[in-house]
Amino acid sequence: MTGVYESPKPRINASMLAQYIGRPVSFVGRLEKVHPSGKALTLSDGEGKSASVELNDPLDEELSGIVEVIGMVSNKGTIMAVSYTQYREDKISFDLELYNEGLKVLHDFPQHYPFEVSLSG
Amino acid sequence: MWNQGKYGEASTGGYTQSPGGFGSPAASQGGDKKGRSRAQQIVPCTVSQLMSAVQAEDVFKVGEVEIAQVTIVGVIRNTDKSTINIQYKVDDMTAAPMDVKQWIDTEDMGVDNSVIPPGSYVKVSGNLRSFQNNRSLVAFSVRVLEDMNEVTSHMLEVVNAHMQQSKPQSMMVRLMGGGAGTNMMPTAHASMSSTGSYSGASMMLVNGLSANQNQVLSLIKSCHEPQGISMQDLKQKLSSMSVTVIRQIVDFLSNEGHIFSTIDEDHFRSTDNEA
Repeated sequence: MTGVYESPKPRINASMLAQYIGRPVSFVGRLEKVHPSGKALTLSDGEGKSASVELNDPLDEELSGIVEVIGMVSNKGTIMAVSYTQYREDKISFDLELYNEGLKVLHDFPQHYPFEVSLSG
Repeated sequence: MWNQGKYGEASTGGYTQSPGGFGSPAASQGGDKKGRSRAQQIVPCTVSQLMSAVQAEDVFKVGEVEIAQVTIVGVIRNTDKSTINIQYKVDDMTAAPMDVKQWIDTEDMGVDNSVIPPGSYVKVSGNLRSFQNNRSLVAFSVRVLEDMNEVTSHMLEVVNAHMQQSKPQSMMVRLMGGGAGTNMMPTAHASMSSTGSYSGASMMLVNGLSANQNQVLSLIKSCHEPQGISMQDLKQKLSSMSVTVIRQIVDFLSNEGHIFSTIDEDHFRSTDNEA
């Protein structure tokens, strides 16, 4: 789904999933569970709420800690992920709660952090 | 050459008395001003802002903020190395990944020219360039993030930098739920901003309007027909916006005085007749 890569992918948390059904998003959360099949994950956001993520292909590596996924939000509110990125924490740990606060600021000021490109006149 | 006046002031025995600063004889000659008096700052931005920036001659502007040197933070999606440069595509989630070019300095042993692999988060510092309608960054630094909290801090720095440079507006904190169509909510914040204060100063962008509103307004402005542009045309050109949203935006722009209707409620012209 190359469409997702080329689109804006608003950063959201679990509470916002319902508002982004059918749209590409990026979601950063702590890995809570990996389904035995390796094709589904549960991530928790900075508010402690969970999101379900489904992968195209099963995981072929061990994931832990903070993971960022990008994908479309399904009708059921799960994220159909096209890719994931592990946030490194080898030197400094990632403050997920602070990221959640930052994310709220982005949504409060979309004019200063647009998740879209506007045509210049 | 010491300026006559300055020398006289300095006669009390200390060069340091002179307010001009004795260390800058060139400045006291007053000849060096050119057009370079604008402050060059490095501005944290999003890729979407860089892509949307308006270019007037060789100056780029995001809203009121003039940008030249910028920083972005994103993940590397693609790499391409040649003998003279490394090209990356950096994705910060706000738009399609941005082209970033880093020249390789083969002589400088102090610079690490190894390619950073895809999947790495980096901070890029560089200059915005536009070539044949294609925007890219020429980077003087591409640094791998060791502390992922820099992602969060960059997000906040971007909002802060762009907020400070805009005309003071009343704080817009209201979040509107339920409008699943657009995430821009044009009517919400536009109603808080003071567009009136700007009329003379900036011809290019009307500050205080959201990206969607600016898009609609630009289209209306670009039409030079006496009866203006029709709702049909707007719908056609703005395929990403629903009719309801376009109608909302048009109503707002009309209330604010940017546009007026002509032969009927479906034709609009801009009140700003610069073009």
